[in-house]
Amino acid sequence: MEAVFKRELQSYFKSPVAYFVIAFFGALTGLYFWNINLYNGSIEFTMTLASLTTFLIFFIPVITMKLFADDKKNGTEVLLRTAPVPTWKIVLGKYLASVVVFGCMCLETMICPIIMTFFVNDSGVFPLAMTVGGYAGFFMLGLAYLAVGTFASSVTDSQPIAAVLGVIILIAITFVQTIGETIKGWLGRVLIWISLSSRYDDFASGIFSVSSVFFYLTFTLLVLFFTSVNIERKRWN
Amino acid sequence: MIRIENLVKTYGKVVALDDVSFDVNKGEILGFLGPNGAGKSTAMNIITGYLAPTSGTVLVDGVDIADKTMEIRRMIGYLPELPPLYGDMTVNEYLNFICDLKSVSAKARKSMLDDITYIVKIGDVRKRLVKNLSKGYRQRVGFAQALVGDPPILILDEPTVGLDPRQVLEFRRIISTLGRNHTIILSTHILQEVTAVCSDVVIINNGKVARQGAISEFTSAGGSEKRMVVTFDGRKPDCEELLKSIPEISSFNFSRIDRNAAVFRIVTSGSTDAARSIFRAAVEKNIPILEMKSVEKSLEEEFVNIISKDTSEGGED
Repeated sequence: MEAVFKRELQSYFKSPVAYFVIAFFGALTGLYFWNINLYNGSIEFTMTLASLTTFLIFFIPVITMKLFADDKKNGTEVLLRTAPVPTWKIVLGKYLASVVVFGCMCLETMICPIIMTFFVNDSGVFPLAMTVGGYAGFFMLGLAYLAVGTFASSVTDSQPIAAVLGVIILIAITFVQTIGETIKGWLGRVLIWISLSSRYDDFASGIFSVSSVFFYLTFTLLVLFFTSVNIERKRWN
Repeated sequence: MIRIENLVKTYGKVVALDDVSFDVNKGEILGFLGPNGAGKSTAMNIITGYLAPTSGTVLVDGVDIADKTMEIRRMIGYLPELPPLYGDMTVNEYLNFICDLKSVSAKARKSMLDDITYIVKIGDVRKRLVKNLSKGYRQRVGFAQALVGDPPILILDEPTVGLDPRQVLEFRRIISTLGRNHTIILSTHILQEVTAVCSDVVIINNGKVARQGAISEFTSAGGSEKRMVVTFDGRKPDCEELLKSIPEISSFNFSRIDRNAAVFRIVTSGSTDAARSIFRAAVEKNIPILEMKSVEKSLEEEFVNIISKDTSEGGED
């Protein structure tokens, strides 16, 4: 697993994609930070994070698109699937490499709340707990999205298709919340319950819910498991 | 060492392998021969665990690969048809990655990689990016990858395709050397390669094993049977009559008409030289012989016979 993780991480930072994604996401963060926190004077950085979650739908599949599609295209898939390493370890290794890239994206946004702490004076107290909670939710949501992107990459040998497929699935997942809110009733409640984004709202409003953390992690592991099954399935085709 | 039993692989309705069975003994270099699309790569992909068979088993040292997959994968070095390389890594990085993948200890690594790079002669490109290497070097790096971890079994899928003649010879030399202490399955459709390096042959066609045996069985060094190709300047029925009258000829068949001359393939037996008898009979019947040559029974002939069984014409010469 470490081998795959190391190689995948190196490969991320050897290609311009990771730098581009991190830089572009940084610029967007700056824009929203300026608009929400600096220009409109909100003390809640979680609002900025909440706005950024929409962009994760587009950024994350770009990070994950190469994970498996690239191997299939280059013929290196044979190498991984005949190596004495179980498939789930390969999936996990690759996934964790994408988590590091996403981690870099999260880290760079932290400049904003740090800047805010300098500006907060007697007029108010910087909501530290809320910001930490917001970040936890943001990161958890990212983990779940990365898993979906990883799965999309295991379906095809074309990176662009993997990216588009990832975006489509993530948009569909986001719509689950909207649909749930519209139809109401028990089905609506179930849809809201399983929706990834509705749980993020808890974090954004400062509620650190253990059940949501558990939900995100379960969702992530389940999707990674399906990815592993999907790869294993090809042995039989 | 490797026993393949009743291997079947179907892709939907297409049958890629149809009840394939053969053995590879320890220390053997087995030539896995067949035309393109015969099922060679499929069989190799199953042996290496890349694909699962529809039915049948692969045993390595008596152990089913489905039972102890990871242990057996550690015993096999595989060079697929397309060397599985990462262009964005240097050769050193790549080989170290393979060492990580096959969990080669840090202690053993340096001397192992030094040995391997010496064997496949890539010492001078170890710091270069894989994507900038020539085809020949890429193939060698792919070969090096298969050797990492010192697996006792090597599976090489058409390792010399796309190499220049000098590199082909060099690769064969390397394979022969490795054959001294490895069990090797070498897939190819190049016959000279098999005669040059292999001890045994399995010929596969349309997903079935068409023939298998030691390489010596395919070339008639010792047998009394001899083969000839004779071209007569005469009508086909006359020539047939002539050939029937010669007792040394055990069988013959008409090959083709070549510029009004009839070409026959003849199998003779017995210790006496049939050429003289054919000559005398031809003089008697006044049928000029335009060409007469003896043909070594070869693997090539066997191979062509097998893969063109359905069609009546052999198409050699």
